[in-house]
Amino acid sequence: MTQPLTWTPEQEASGGRAVARLDRALHAVERVTAIFSGLFIFGLMFVGVAQILGRKLFNYPIFGYIDAVEMSIAVFAFLAIAYCERMNGHVRMELLIGKLRGKPLWLAEAAGQLLGLILLAVLIYYGWEHAMRAYNYGDSTIDAQIPWWPSKMLIPFAFGLLFLRLLLNLVGYVRLFANADAAPVAVPLIANVRRLAEEEAAEAGALDTRRDSPSGRTGA
Amino acid sequence: MTELSNDTIGILGVIALLIMVVIGVRVYIAASVVGMVGLIAMIGWEAGAGMVGTIPHSKSVTYTLSVLPMFILIGFLAFHAGITQSLFDAARKWLGWLPGGLAVASVMATAGFAAVSGASTATAAVFSRVAIPEMLAAGYKRSIAAGVVAAGGTLATLIPPSAILVIYAIIVEESVGRLLLAGFIPGLVSALIYVGIILIWAKIDPKVGPPIRGYTWSDRIKAVPGTFPVIAVVVIIFTAMYLGWATPTEAGALGAFVVFLMAVAKGMRWPGLRESLLDTAKLTVMIFSLIWGVLIFVRFLGFAGLPEQFTNFIASLPFEPWVVMVCILLAYAVLGMFMDAIGMLLLTLPVVYPAVMALGYDSIWFGIIVVKMAEVCLVTPPIGLNCFVVAAVRPDIPISTVFRGVGPFVVADFITVAVFLIWPEIITWLPRTLMG
Repeated sequence: MTQPLTWTPEQEASGGRAVARLDRALHAVERVTAIFSGLFIFGLMFVGVAQILGRKLFNYPIFGYIDAVEMSIAVFAFLAIAYCERMNGHVRMELLIGKLRGKPLWLAEAAGQLLGLILLAVLIYYGWEHAMRAYNYGDSTIDAQIPWWPSKMLIPFAFGLLFLRLLLNLVGYVRLFANADAAPVAVPLIANVRRLAEEEAAEAGALDTRRDSPSGRTGA
Repeated sequence: MTELSNDTIGILGVIALLIMVVIGVRVYIAASVVGMVGLIAMIGWEAGAGMVGTIPHSKSVTYTLSVLPMFILIGFLAFHAGITQSLFDAARKWLGWLPGGLAVASVMATAGFAAVSGASTATAAVFSRVAIPEMLAAGYKRSIAAGVVAAGGTLATLIPPSAILVIYAIIVEESVGRLLLAGFIPGLVSALIYVGIILIWAKIDPKVGPPIRGYTWSDRIKAVPGTFPVIAVVVIIFTAMYLGWATPTEAGALGAFVVFLMAVAKGMRWPGLRESLLDTAKLTVMIFSLIWGVLIFVRFLGFAGLPEQFTNFIASLPFEPWVVMVCILLAYAVLGMFMDAIGMLLLTLPVVYPAVMALGYDSIWFGIIVVKMAEVCLVTPPIGLNCFVVAAVRPDIPISTVFRGVGPFVVADFITVAVFLIWPEIITWLPRTLMG
């Protein structure tokens, strides 16, 4: 999904350029969410170490540690969900769909996005209600009395980003379905096992190519 | 329109889920869509949709789950800490004289690396770089060199810290600490059975892997300090947890911190750290999405009463429990050929686990067995990911050669599972002894 330097007519067909521009904008936000949740995990590491040291050496555990950890789970459990989708990171079974080509493939992919959109619409609405209830009733954790609503509010936000991502995917696939000459732009393509394996190997730093492109991926 | 009974809705739901998963809908979306539609059909729109809307947050925000990102972080940081080369070096010097010595060394080194990594594919990838060139240079067949690494990589799933074991613990509400502890000996037994297969194979056909000699005792002793980081991480995590100093999350945090310091000492800077953090964030959110997605589906199954019915059905079968167990394991072996390990476990356990418990099996024991089956699915064709990883790192070795080389180790895996079936104490002894 690297960004082409020069646009072929196939890529430009049916508004490929517009789709790509939206993709870049959304991905910039997604990348921030991913870095933010990565840093949160990194922070959790330090807090965990501090908690052990505090408790064992100084007999002084961090007040409200468990409450704070539970609260922060919402950050790394949800925030980067759209980033993960964009990076084709969510588990799926590709054996059958990987055999499809052309219109049937784009139709199946579009249907998958549509299902996701319906689900997310419900999850966002009721997730928002859930958060608003916590806000109105002043729901807070038992120990440290930290209010729950910011943690709950993160979920409709993260799902909102994912909604936009799936919507963009849907537009991307419909564009391909409608125009047989168009080339894929800004949609997750089936990672056949071979490519998936290459990605895994690259992530582990075991591919030579990694040295040539230290960022590993482009698109942001 | 006639009213559908809950049983019928339950079965329709399972069929719908299977269809969606097979046509490639993301597993977490498929599971939650089916769960949502099913719940709404059974208890109405407001109650059903309202319940579904609260599940992602309420089921994720529990302290136990916070151990996942810590273990994942350890794995990604470990690659920057330069542990692999020194482990393989030590293993080669100590074990190279055996028949098939470099292959034996590779298995033991992957087992050692598994103690700081919970990711099988990553372990296979790194050792493809470290171990395969040396084996080829020593005259090993390509299929064997590749097969050893692909199979050795799977050990990371069983030997703690292992993300899959934590996921099992969460789905079946078992103690995370107990399961992690239980994974140790079976992981070691798996590695030793791999070693046994290599020794027998190399004895029968010495061309398979000639032994290498010429290391002095001083060479061997000098190689030992290189393995200290791994030993340190294992000792830290486990003593901290079992002396009651730390929860699994805190122990994981301490382990990650130690590996982080080692990686910095080895020259990791911000770009490397940023990569590790992004990869950790991605994998963490992937696993959490699966967890809440599947839990929405599980809530639906519960309302439909399907797990109970399946349990009653299994319990009423006129066979010995072990026959049923063997059938279940065979089903996992087949399913694993076509499905991702984590997805497979999450989707099947809610129904299979209660039935297995009704047969009288131990939940820790079953967890280890089922994770072992998930390991097997990483190396069986057509989509055994570990084999593809090896082929990706070594483009000169075709995938068919890797699958051929991995064959004997799949046999070894089945022997391992049989051993655990016959002597369940191998799994249950350690957690029972240490944790009561």
